[in-house]
Amino acid sequence: MILRILTSLFIIYSSFLSSDLRIEITKGIEDPIRIAIVPIAWNLENPPREYLHQIISSDLESFGEFVSLSPKEMLSLPNSEQEIFYRDWKLLDVDYLVLGTASRGESLQEIVVNFSLFNVTRERLMKRSISVGSASYLNALAHIISDRIYNEINGLPGISSTKISYINQNREPEQKYFLRVTDIDGRNDSSIFSSSEPLMSPSWSSDGKRLAYVSFEEGTSRIFIQEIYTGKRKGLKLERGINSSPNWSPSDKYLAAVLSKEGNPDIFRYDLENDKWKQLTDHFGIDTEPDWSPDGRKIIFTSNRSGSPQIYEMNVTNKKIRRKTFEGTYNARARYTPDGKSFVFVHRRDGLFHIAVQNLRTGKLQILTDTTLDESPTISPNGKVIIYATKDKEKDILAGISIDGKTRFILPTNSGGVREPSWSPLLVSTGN
Amino acid sequence: MSLFDQFLVLAAIICSFSGCAAISMDRAVEVETVSAVAEPGYSDSDSPVGGTIYFDYDKYNLSSSAISEIRELAKSIKSSSSKVRIEGHCDERGTREYNLALGERRANVVSELLQVNGVPSSSITTVSYGEERPVAYSSDESSWSKNRRAVVKVL
Repeated sequence: MILRILTSLFIIYSSFLSSDLRIEITKGIEDPIRIAIVPIAWNLENPPREYLHQIISSDLESFGEFVSLSPKEMLSLPNSEQEIFYRDWKLLDVDYLVLGTASRGESLQEIVVNFSLFNVTRERLMKRSISVGSASYLNALAHIISDRIYNEINGLPGISSTKISYINQNREPEQKYFLRVTDIDGRNDSSIFSSSEPLMSPSWSSDGKRLAYVSFEEGTSRIFIQEIYTGKRKGLKLERGINSSPNWSPSDKYLAAVLSKEGNPDIFRYDLENDKWKQLTDHFGIDTEPDWSPDGRKIIFTSNRSGSPQIYEMNVTNKKIRRKTFEGTYNARARYTPDGKSFVFVHRRDGLFHIAVQNLRTGKLQILTDTTLDESPTISPNGKVIIYATKDKEKDILAGISIDGKTRFILPTNSGGVREPSWSPLLVSTGN
Repeated sequence: MSLFDQFLVLAAIICSFSGCAAISMDRAVEVETVSAVAEPGYSDSDSPVGGTIYFDYDKYNLSSSAISEIRELAKSIKSSSSKVRIEGHCDERGTREYNLALGERRANVVSELLQVNGVPSSSITTVSYGEERPVAYSSDESSWSKNRRAVVKVL
């Protein structure tokens, strides 16, 4: 209990610190959805100083899909459906309108937000919803509201309540590696493990509560699993040689990973119940970088068995392997899209490394990025956005792109090199 | 030593002399080709003996000068009955986990040649750091060529 209080104190405290990794759009889409979030009316004597409508607006604007109207530009500030003059909002070119009121819930800490979403073009109410949250976590409450609005308009889960884990390396004053976790909006960025030896390959469990990663703290690579909120940590059974590339199965019962104990790197499966390794591929080439398909039936991985690194897909049950990439001589580190129909990966063209996406059925490859040392793509749990690692001059930075290639952004930071982003699964159910 | 291990050692030796055409990876467009030469003067090892072997981009085969360097190393390791740790490294290009595998190949090829030259396998440990521990940080050939290395540290 004390630990929980301390943890929440820490989270509150850290949210006041200047946060890292703010998303900065560098290229937006031409016709974003226009939305107006009217400032939420507080039925409270002392309303909090944080403005819910601002957080909701910036959530929706994060990845360039929406632009929101500033309250200063609004012709009226309606509090209820009766007060809406659709003509005013149409004059302002608004597609959607959100009204809401906030009041105290049953306990002092509980905040209840009643909000309604209107389609301005059709002049009708689309959704009325109630969200309950804690007064100490108004950001989290705003993210839930944002995700409901997003879901209602786009028919896909919103990603404002998700997190990113990544590796942060400082060279000054001393070599130090950090495994960090941050809210997608840059708030609550905190280190969950640090070491003077390299850290690699963070991977979220499907339940969003644990991270698997590689640490060299023992002088050799070893895979660890850490509970994010308790800090509880466990090393997987160590084998001779490389122990790397952990990746959770959708059921969280297994990890796919890479061991070179037989002399060369192969894909293995670790059973978390009985702490046993089982070999899945057996080839004298390099097999690495496994990722589990969303249905758990297949594993996509990199192999140089043909002479150059290419992407292969294995049926986990019968171990049948099929080569998937044929364009170019360097295709590596594939990640399935959440629908399992495509994969994003690192593709080399003319000596430069880009992020590309390929359809599994048609084989059609599309290069998405124009940066040149790109790696470690990770896909948002709604399949819309990719964040990846690249270089800006000498510095490791994170950047992003929508999977349709229309929106580009960077995630600037002032805290050393950042790399190996890994996007969490959906952490809050935004169902109704 | 299993039959497979013997095959690996044999393959490594053949590789060392043949340029490893069969199992090395493709070569990318490269401005400058740096061959895998040993530069005993440059080392990230703290120990007085030991050494650093350099490699070509995406390769883990040894140049003839690297082979003679490793032979000399083998003599001094044997005469002092030292234990050694070989660390394999890569430049930043390509994916991190794939580079971890490539770094291991570099450490292994040095380890195998030391064994061929009489260093007992029990005296050798290998580890790959992939691209995680560069010694030079620029995104250009001058840094990359320094980072593609296997470092033999005498313990």
